[in-house]
Amino acid sequence: MTTAADLLSRPRLLHPVAWWIWGLLLAASATRMTNPFLLLLICAIVGCVVLQRKEVGTRNALGLFIGIALLAVVVRVAMMVLLGSSVGGRITLVTLPEVPLPHWMAGVQLGGPVMLAGLLDALYTGLQLAAVLLCVGGCNALADPRRLLRYVPATLYDAGTAIVVAMTYVPQLAEDAASVRRARRLRGHSGRGLRELAALVVPVLENSLERSISLAASMESRGYGRVTLDRSARRRATALTIIGLAGVLVGLFGLLGGPTPASLGLPVLVGGLVIAAMALMTGARRDQRTPYRRDPWGLPETLVVLSGVVPLAVVSVGLRRGWSGIVPAQVPATLPHVSVAIALALLVAAVPAVLAPRTPRRAEREDRRRLRPPTDPEQGPPISSLRRDPELSRSKA
Amino acid sequence: MSPRRRDELLVWRWSSTVTMTLMTIVGFLSFTWPFFVSSESTLATSNDAPWLFPVLVGLLCLVLVAQLSGGTMDAKSVAVLGVLAAMGGALRVLSAGTAGLEPLFFLLVLGGRVLGRAGGFLLGAFAITTGAFLTSGVGPWLPFQMFAAGWVGMGAAMLPAVRPRLERWMLTAYGLVAGLAYGAIMNLWFWPFLGSSAPSGAGFAATASLATQLQHYAVFYGLTSLGWDLPRGVLTAVLVLLACHPVLAALRRALRRAAFDAAPTFDVRTSRGTSEDFVG
Repeated sequence: MTTAADLLSRPRLLHPVAWWIWGLLLAASATRMTNPFLLLLICAIVGCVVLQRKEVGTRNALGLFIGIALLAVVVRVAMMVLLGSSVGGRITLVTLPEVPLPHWMAGVQLGGPVMLAGLLDALYTGLQLAAVLLCVGGCNALADPRRLLRYVPATLYDAGTAIVVAMTYVPQLAEDAASVRRARRLRGHSGRGLRELAALVVPVLENSLERSISLAASMESRGYGRVTLDRSARRRATALTIIGLAGVLVGLFGLLGGPTPASLGLPVLVGGLVIAAMALMTGARRDQRTPYRRDPWGLPETLVVLSGVVPLAVVSVGLRRGWSGIVPAQVPATLPHVSVAIALALLVAAVPAVLAPRTPRRAEREDRRRLRPPTDPEQGPPISSLRRDPELSRSKA
Repeated sequence: MSPRRRDELLVWRWSSTVTMTLMTIVGFLSFTWPFFVSSESTLATSNDAPWLFPVLVGLLCLVLVAQLSGGTMDAKSVAVLGVLAAMGGALRVLSAGTAGLEPLFFLLVLGGRVLGRAGGFLLGAFAITTGAFLTSGVGPWLPFQMFAAGWVGMGAAMLPAVRPRLERWMLTAYGLVAGLAYGAIMNLWFWPFLGSSAPSGAGFAATASLATQLQHYAVFYGLTSLGWDLPRGVLTAVLVLLACHPVLAALRRALRRAAFDAAPTFDVRTSRGTSEDFVG
């Protein structure tokens, strides 16, 4: 049996940038709607794709984000119930006892009637926030953000290196702390309590600074940092940065209703952002560093990105045309209408669950499971050969 | 002593000043826009407007880091910033979940004091990023946290140079204020997301006046997060007070030793004291 994903590509890790674009596009669609059914559909899509395409044995970041998302909904609803809401409406669910407040807190209301419309509004917008968080959590689970560090532009190369150094040294810090503590216990200290913990600080700090100096010396002796952007590229980047930032500032003032005309606000802001982004990219073409085993960008990557573009485009068009069911009204409170076109468009975003290449370890496990029942030896590749294939056994490098 | 200009880890150029000033204004507006937005502007009426700011701050934060680090970072600063960011990230992971008790700020205040303005800002941004990567918690809050933590580190470097005993108390007070201010400003980024449904009297209402907005925010802040921020500020202050001298001394000694390209100077009067400059 060959799956559709295997026809497009052998099992490999998808380019992390593709997963992040897909997730952020889906999050962008979620920010444009408050229909609870559509938002739940987005959550389901993210969960389904993560279940199908997360590499086996990596940390499941989605759990953390589900926790935060639930917290966001609960906090929101609880605050609405306790403090009332400005939405209005006519249907009162319950009336809580109202707590009198001092006069300087005028306008604040603690307790009082809980309106259905207000509750629904808090729930819908809370769900929106939750859906966006889940999309970002899905990105975290599908493509570890650390893998993105390999794709930073040349202007951020040094910053990226510093963060890679930091990630490498964290485990060593724990070892340092453990060995200092062991040494103290050998000298007859208990090794427990706040005072002992405080005694760790300076030795661990000294140790790691010592290590940073020897690391710097070894980097220096291997010629690190001698290949950098030339002066003209750097000057161009500085000029672009300042022009871009000034544009952003002017645009922002326009959007906030300042002296700049409001119609100018958004275009100037976007223009400034584009110029600032160009500053990041300056000199990237002439960067002389050679990459090590970059992930390829192939047809599956393009398909994954496109599957994120479709829902956003349809939702944006729908919003402009005023389709019902994207932003349902809470007053009067009715069951939100779900437009079939939008639901189908959202389902396009679930395509990666089928078409994105299977991850290597998951594919190996699935194939092994399929091959385990005693079949005749001519059928299918033996597992040992799968394991020896260097491309397959390559985990996230 | 506050770091003298030539003691800073990274060169601070005029373009850094311009970029940082512009970014600080943009960043300040990105945090505080709910207070300034006028009622008829598009931001006040549109539903997805609050999402503009995480994108904006995220991209501009990258630009700022590129500007501050570009061309000035050598092997020494990469190694020192990397190792200190590792400590910050580890502290952040350790403290995740304990209500507001974040020892990270102690490192940011003292580290920023020694590393200087650019180094302090980058230390804050890198430590937060490392912590986020370690927990796979890269979310829309990350750019705002990077920015706010960078400010904390840079602010410590910008405090005036004073005598060591006074410096200890100054940094302690700064730690308390920074811990509180960080929380107050970090709440702001998601406050507008409460949107129209926010509780009356504690929510973001674009049509209200500045005074009303501030009052609403004060209520919201007092209700939701003062209990988290106060322990953080106090913990930072206590840690700075206790460990200020040994940690500052260790950091300064390390930076002096790592000055590989320091030109040897032979001064007859002080020749015995400068021998440390060549160790490395």
